[in-house]
Order: sequence, then structure tokens, then C-alpha cells
Amino acid sequence: MKKLLKYIILFLSPIVLIIIGIEIFYRTVPTNYSFKHQEILKHRDSIEVLIFGDSHAMYGINPKYLDKKAFNLANLSQTIYFDKLLFQSYVDQLPNLECIIIPMEYTTMSQADNTEEDIWRKYFYNAQMGLNVPIIKWYNPKKYSLALSQKMVRTVKALNTWRQTNTLVNCDNNGWGLGYNSSVDSSDVHRLAKVISRKHDDAKYDISQNLERVKSIVKVCKKKNINVILVNLPVTNQYFNLLVQDEVIEILKQSYILNAQNKHVKNLNLVQDPRFYLEDFQDVDHLNRNGAKKCSVILDDFIKDF
Amino acid sequence: MLFNSIDFAIFMPIVFLLYWFVFNKNLRIQNLFLIAVSYFFYACWDWRFLSLILISSVVDFLVGKKLSNETKKQNRTYLLLTSLFVNLGVLGFFKYYNFFINSFQEVFMFFGSEFHVSTLKIILPVGISFYTFQTLSYTIDVYKNRISVTKNPVSFFAFVSFFPQLVAGPIERASNLLPQFEKTRIMNYANGVNGLRLILLGLFKKMVIADNCAKVVNELFEYYPEHSGSTLLFGAFFFAFQIYGDFSGYTDIAIGCSKLLGFDLMQNFKMPYLSRNLGEFWRRWHISLSTWFRDYVYIPLGGSRVSKTRIIRNILVVFLLSGLWHGANWTFIIWGLIHALCFLPLILFDKNKKFNNIPDENRILPSFKTCSQILITFLIVVFAWIFFRAETLFHALQYLNGIFDETLFSMPQVSKELTLLLTAYMSIEWFQRKKEHVLDIDFINYRPIRIVIYYLVLFCIVYYSGNTQPFIYFQF
Repeated sequence: MKKLLKYIILFLSPIVLIIIGIEIFYRTVPTNYSFKHQEILKHRDSIEVLIFGDSHAMYGINPKYLDKKAFNLANLSQTIYFDKLLFQSYVDQLPNLECIIIPMEYTTMSQADNTEEDIWRKYFYNAQMGLNVPIIKWYNPKKYSLALSQKMVRTVKALNTWRQTNTLVNCDNNGWGLGYNSSVDSSDVHRLAKVISRKHDDAKYDISQNLERVKSIVKVCKKKNINVILVNLPVTNQYFNLLVQDEVIEILKQSYILNAQNKHVKNLNLVQDPRFYLEDFQDVDHLNRNGAKKCSVILDDFIKDF
Repeated sequence: MLFNSIDFAIFMPIVFLLYWFVFNKNLRIQNLFLIAVSYFFYACWDWRFLSLILISSVVDFLVGKKLSNETKKQNRTYLLLTSLFVNLGVLGFFKYYNFFINSFQEVFMFFGSEFHVSTLKIILPVGISFYTFQTLSYTIDVYKNRISVTKNPVSFFAFVSFFPQLVAGPIERASNLLPQFEKTRIMNYANGVNGLRLILLGLFKKMVIADNCAKVVNELFEYYPEHSGSTLLFGAFFFAFQIYGDFSGYTDIAIGCSKLLGFDLMQNFKMPYLSRNLGEFWRRWHISLSTWFRDYVYIPLGGSRVSKTRIIRNILVVFLLSGLWHGANWTFIIWGLIHALCFLPLILFDKNKKFNNIPDENRILPSFKTCSQILITFLIVVFAWIFFRAETLFHALQYLNGIFDETLFSMPQVSKELTLLLTAYMSIEWFQRKKEHVLDIDFINYRPIRIVIYYLVLFCIVYYSGNTQPFIYFQF
């Protein structure tokens, strides 16, 4: 038995050392999560507009083009579950907050909790943004180790990115995602639209759970005198046409109803806005830098008209 | 708690250390500890269904005890029927209630009348088919006087709930496993190393082979109309490897963990895709289930020592039941039927046991004849797997229709890396076919090489693992 234990320990020692190394890496190198947390707290007294949402908002709304001081708190694959947790966490820390922007998206409204999207991200929200995430149980070892929360292949990618660019942060000081200048290849757009729309079809067309979350944010905002903009962000027509239309209609309908029922809520529907062309997109559902500028200017006018 | 989770990676070493260093003084306490951790393990899935394991354990222990004191045949039969009624009743309710109600409704609708019984929202308790069959084997063996009854409830409860094989087998026989709870276990180095190798191999099969295949298979079975016949054929091949990696991987980990606790479980898979006919396949695939059906259904029905008509009936009964055991869906029944129909000629012409040896034992590479036999058997198995994987019979037929069109001979659009991985794995299985398992590498005398191989396998698991998928057999 002693011999067996000795060999197991010897065999596992290098692996433990690697895990410790990865843990140090994640704990010391800033990521979007730690960076956004740090920046929002740094500018807490001046922030007037706060932007939530997933990558569509992270790349699509550039605070630089808004007149009021804005911060983009959106993140890749960020679900409404986390939008709500982030809102709850920061709302009382931002004394001058006047307006929040919540994207009502096909990608997030029917998103269930604790799925593939959150499988590792939830630990980063917890460890690097200080969120208390109820879907992480106290006895889950990954709560205490970011190295264990990530797949090795993702860690290797992160290490490579860090080695080449010296950072893991891909947003500016306002939280806007540093997207691409380039446009989607028009000859490939149909194929891409098919692949992406399929990826986004979660076969769960029930938006009630996330709608309740949006409503609860809206309710808190009313108490705190904060305006809410529910925005439906632009996507390419090729992608839009392949989405489950019943779900799209339901999302647009609910955005409109919230707008109609609450004076402090306004809905801006840009989903198929004719002002956006294929050249404004870096792929089928993300705006590129020019598109983000266009979208942000439209949003700015909308905020001014509130 | 999945075997391939961080939770289990923490749970197992804690159990191992407590088992050997804290609770090793007394056999009874060690068994009680095993019951506690097994119940905890199961409770991590769904604690509510612990009651079903408890009911099964209590009923079969008491029935066994009564059987040992009962000599009247009629009373003994009543006792056996009690056990069958309780165990199969629970299994039937949880697993088959909705299936039979729906099927009855369809039959009534077909004849133009209505059948008004509503289906229920029933959650299938994980592993119910496995532990039910295991406890049943005990009662039947005691009834048939094949084994002596156990008077020790602690050993019996530990036997029923033993966590490594509780949720997906192997379905152990009381004659093999129960006595191991009644004697002091010892740990030796060779057994420990073999256990760890099996765990490593199991994780590789599950996380690298099965989970990577699953990604492709899910896509192809969902969007089959968009793919060529050759791609769909490869999709079916990949499913064959997904289910093999998934299930045999789980079994390897179960056997490996048991070895670390001083137990020897039966072998459940013997490189089944190297089989040269369907008879050999069933001696190599899910052995614990096929031998269960052989011993408790096929032989009691008369086995092969009856008229040809009754042999046909017996084979059909066994395979249809085997299909139904896997799930309450017609797809599983058709899967069983295909195997029955392909197996029947072997039994009728007495070719079933033709291949009891190792394929091409004295050759390095397989002969053309062996290759052909293996390929034909594999194709039959894959054909049946399509029904097993499909959601409905219509889905299976559509998938098959997609395979057999003019695009069957086009270039398949599948991952080259995955195809290469599976080819490499099967080649290694071929070269290791005389061994108990692929990682049985004791013949390599130089230890550093063995260690490098372990690290390589571990690296593949950590780096190339696909997205975690639930174990397929948990649903059974």
C-alpha cells in the first residue's frame, strides 16, 4: 500500500504543480472580468449610463459615442441571469446612474441557467467580479480554483494570447469590446448565418424566466429613478431570417409591452433597421467598429430624447 | 456525481484513504462505511430515489432470509414472486408506465376507439435497471439453491448499493460480489496499479473518444437531411464508438475503483468491435447483461435444448427484453429485434460458439478473412445502433434513407482527426487483443516507458476531451 501511495504521489506531483501554475496565472493576469470590475469601480462617481448584455452589446455599443459617461458591462455569452446579478451588485455603488441599457436578445432571452454558456464563466464572475452566484454551491471545488474551472485547451489558448499580446483583456477602458474593422464576407454570409443561427437555437422558446429577471430590474430602476432602454440590437437579414420567428416576435412583443407599461422604460428596435448594411457587421450577428459607431450614435440620440 | 468530474476526483481519494486507513480495523465498520458513501454517491444524483434502493434491499434481504427457512415449494415460489413483483413493479412504473399507456392509446386509436388514461410526469431514477437486476439475481439464485443466503444485512445492503457499479453496472451476480463483502479485503500493489490503469483508460474512452464522437453524432442525427450518405454512414460509425467509449469507459472506471477498494468485478467488455460474428459480439459486449438474460431468461425458457421453434421464440424473447431493458421506446425494441434476427441463424446452424478464441492469435496483422468477418459484424452492429440512437422509428428510417442514396459513395465530410483517433485506438486494441484491456502494459519492462504512456494518455484526456456529455447508460 505504501509503495502504491508513494508512486501515486510521485506521478501526480507534476500535475499538481501545473495546476498551481495555472491558478497563479488566472489570479494574477487581468481578464475582461477583473478589468471591468476594476474600471467600473474606478469611475463609479461619473458613470451615468450602464450597458448590459452579451457579445452583441459588448462589441455593438461603444460608450465613446454617447454624450453621457457610459460604461459597457456586457461580456461574451453573458446571460440575463448575470446581467441581473451585476445590476444588483453595482447599482448602489453608482450614485449618478441615470440610465441602463438592456439588450433583449434572441441569444439570451430563452437562455437557461447553468448551461454550456456559464459552465466556466460563472466562476470568473464569482472570483473576479465579486458576485455571489447562487448557481455555484459552496462545496463545488471550482469555486475555489479557476484552474479547475477551465478546460486545458482553453487555458493553453489563453496562455498563447497572453504570450503574444501580453494581455487577456479585449476591451477598452469603457468596457467596449475591441471588435474588428473588417466586414463579414458576403459570399460566405449564408453559410455562416446557418451555422450561427443553429448554434443559437436552444430549442427552448420559453422566455418567461429571463423576462421576469428583466422585469425585476425594471422594477428596481423605477424605485431608484433610473431609466431603462430595452434595445433589440441589429443582426444581418440572412441570420434573422433563420431564427425561430415565434420566439423573435415574442421577444419584440414583450419589449414593446414593457415600454408601454412603464414610463421609465423605452424600447429601441434595431433588429432589422434599414440603416445597417452588411458592411456594418464583422459576422452575421456582431457589429464591427463602424457598425458599433452607427449603433451607438443612434442610441445616444434615443437617450437624449428620453 | 459523474466519474469524469472534479467532484469524483475529490470523493474517490477521500473514500480510499478513509476506507484503508480509518475504517479498516473491522469488516463490519468498513462495510457500513461503504454503504454510507454509496448512499451519499447516489444522493448526489437524487436523494429522493434512495428510498427505492432501500426498498429493494430490504425486500430482497427478507425474501432471501425467508427462503432459507422455507422448504415448501409453493411457499418458496410465493416468496420469489413477491420479490419479482416489488422489483419489477417499481422498475415497470418508473420506466415503462408512460410507454405502455402511449402504446395502448395508439393501438386503440388505430382501431378507431379511445383509451383514456393519462401519462404521468415521471423522473427515471438513475441506475434503476442495473440495481434491480442485481438484487433480482440474488433472490433467484437463492430460490434455485445456487447460492447460500446471507444472514448479514450490512453485507447485503453494501452489495446492492456498492457505488462504483451502482448506476451503470456491471450488473454483478451475488455469487461473485456478495462473498467479497463477507471477507477481509486486502490491497496489493499489482491490483492497485491495474485499478488505476483502468480508471485512466476509462476516462480516455469516455472523455476523448465518446465525448468527441458525441459532438459529431448529435449534429448528424439532428440535421441528417443536410448531409451526404457517406457522412451519415460515418455518423453511425461514430455513434458505435461513442456508445462503446461511453459505456465501456464507465465500466472500466467502475472496475478500477472497485480494485482500489479490494474488490474484483466481472469484466463487462472484451474489445467487442473485434468480434467475428454476432455470437462473439454478445460474448464481448455488456457481458453482465447478456449473461444475466442467458441465465435468468434464456436457459429457464429451455435455451437451445428444445425444438427449433422454441429456440426461435427464446431468442426473440431474450433480445426483445434486452431492447426493452434499455429503454421504453420502440427504437430499442427494433434494435433488439435486429440483433435477434441476425443472431438466429448462428444458433440454428450451431455457429454461435464458433469464435471462442482470440482472433488470429498467432499473427501480427489480421488475415483478410478475419478482417472481412470483423467488418461484416461491425456493419450489422452499426446498422442496429442507428435504431438505438434515433429518437423515433421514423427518424431511424429517415436516417437510413439518407445513407442509402447516390451520395453514399461521395467523400464523407467528417473530422479527419476523429477518424484517425478511432483508427489508432482500434489498431491498439488489435495489438492488445490478448490482454485484459488496452492499458495492460506489464509486458513493457522498462518502467519509464510505462510512465510516459500514462502521461500521454493523461495529456490526451486533459487536452483533447470533448464537451462533457452525460453517460448514455445512466438513462437505462
